[in-house]
Amino acid sequence: MAVVSDAERTQAATARLAALEDDDFAAVADAGADNSDDDFLVDLGTDDEPELGESAPRKRRKSRGGGAAGRGPKRKTRAMLEAERRGPRTFAGLLEETESASLEEGGPPPPAYTAAAVGPQVGAATRRWCSVCGFAAPYRCVRCGSRFCTRKCYGVHTETRCLKFVG
Amino acid sequence: MHDGTCIVLDNGGANCKIGLAGQRQPLLVFPNATGKAKGERTVYVGDQLLEDRDLSSLALRRPLERGYLVNEEVERAVWGRAFKAVLPRGAPASDCGLLLTEPLLNLPAIQDSTAQMVFEDFGFASLLATPAPPLALAAWAAEAPAPACALNRAAAGLVVDAGFSFMHAAPVLGGRVLGGGVRRVNLGGKALTNYLKELVSYRSVNMMEETALVDAIKEAACFVSGDMAADLTAARAGGHRLEYVLPNGVTNLRGYVRQPGAPAPASAADTPEQVLVLGNERFMVPELAFRPSDIGVAQGGIAQAAAEAAAAVHPDLRPAMLANVIVVGGLARCPGFVARLQAELRPLVPDECEVAVHMPADPMLAAWQGGSQLAASPEYARRAVTRAEYEERGACFLAA
Ligand SMILES: [Zn+2]
Ligand SMILES: [Zn+2]
Repeated sequence: MAVVSDAERTQAATARLAALEDDDFAAVADAGADNSDDDFLVDLGTDDEPELGESAPRKRRKSRGGGAAGRGPKRKTRAMLEAERRGPRTFAGLLEETESASLEEGGPPPPAYTAAAVGPQVGAATRRWCSVCGFAAPYRCVRCGSRFCTRKCYGVHTETRCLKFVG
Repeated sequence: MHDGTCIVLDNGGANCKIGLAGQRQPLLVFPNATGKAKGERTVYVGDQLLEDRDLSSLALRRPLERGYLVNEEVERAVWGRAFKAVLPRGAPASDCGLLLTEPLLNLPAIQDSTAQMVFEDFGFASLLATPAPPLALAAWAAEAPAPACALNRAAAGLVVDAGFSFMHAAPVLGGRVLGGGVRRVNLGGKALTNYLKELVSYRSVNMMEETALVDAIKEAACFVSGDMAADLTAARAGGHRLEYVLPNGVTNLRGYVRQPGAPAPASAADTPEQVLVLGNERFMVPELAFRPSDIGVAQGGIAQAAAEAAAAVHPDLRPAMLANVIVVGGLARCPGFVARLQAELRPLVPDECEVAVHMPADPMLAAWQGGSQLAASPEYARRAVTRAEYEERGACFLAA
């Protein structure tokens, strides 16, 4: 009978925690090709909202991308062009950039973001809850390490969930 | 410097709160997202997501990731619609200031790109980007009965923001966040909703693609336990059982809690209803705010965050901070949250310090209300960056 290694368990646990930060967009996007990122955007048309989408006068900067700003019905601002050139950003990526920049001499101070994380739980034992019903779980599945409370819940676990989280 | 309108935008991970300086309430509160229903092409932006429609299978795209503005394109669309809605008729953005909340410990790259959007895409006359905790503290202070009391409350406090993307404890002194004292739990309302989604999907009804609906269920059904052992015992005996009638897409678009023993509605015969039964999930999910280790997050909870934040400030300030702990954010409204924080924080801090945890009248709107006060005061002009200054020096000095 297959037993999941510690490394695989850790990996599965990490993936599960990361999933808690997901927007459901990800699930839908995976399901069909017609749900591209762009489908979630709308034109910020300039015709019916003259006070918006208009870029400020640029005095000392040249608009990168040359004449693109004046072309076509939808005018792109410098910020839009830069975003296009840069591609999608992720928070993890930006954090890493900031951190590596601060390592170079003369860079900005390291981001306080990382240092602000609360430390490990103090003064209380880790509690274990049954992966099936949610009540206190004294036992652990020998194959995958999930917790369970009774023979009954263990039965449900092995039938429906055990090892499902890997691969 | 502009001398006219100023828009106040509390740009949260879940919702935008937007309105005009000096007003008591924001004009609009709506999801900071664009979204579309499965199988439809129409994209709904911001407040359009609020229109009465089936909550089922609505997929959202959010500009903020872990509380930080990462996807500018989505944000531009959401803001564009919102600014247009709140700007007084005929007033161009170029005559208008913007007070914008920014996340604690923001990254310079994000500050740059945000300022660029505000000045170059939208053309605002000035910008004051400021963290939310001092604003929330000021709003809470303004609720005090006597002006002298309000001054005390506004001077120093520990703001606990139990928000969508994470929870923060932030010491505030004289209107500024003491940056070195900020502590963060890497979990927030979003993770709790997703956790509830996972639990109910596994235990009863598959709702993995129903985030918006599960969020509504969480708001309606969850509470913070004051006594875990007692609540677990009660739940085992069926004590916390609650039925949530799921939307049927016809007569019932958002679902609702059915009180025990309530008769089925008259229409039940023609539209069969699906019921989600909740038990210990009702308090085991909010429990994560206090014990992230329950799901394997190697961190203490929000009470520990508050205690660590208090420990990080100068000892002379500690009593004032702990006597004025203010909870805001979506999770603060979860029944039992304030009492639990009070109870858990007490043993974690020095005995001689009084501990008092408070919640403003509207914990979701407090930061906006404080922002509205600030934007209507002379302090706005002192702290804001004008477009001319931005063009002269770039965004880098906004961090100051
Ligand atoms: Zn069990
Ligand atoms: Zn197993």
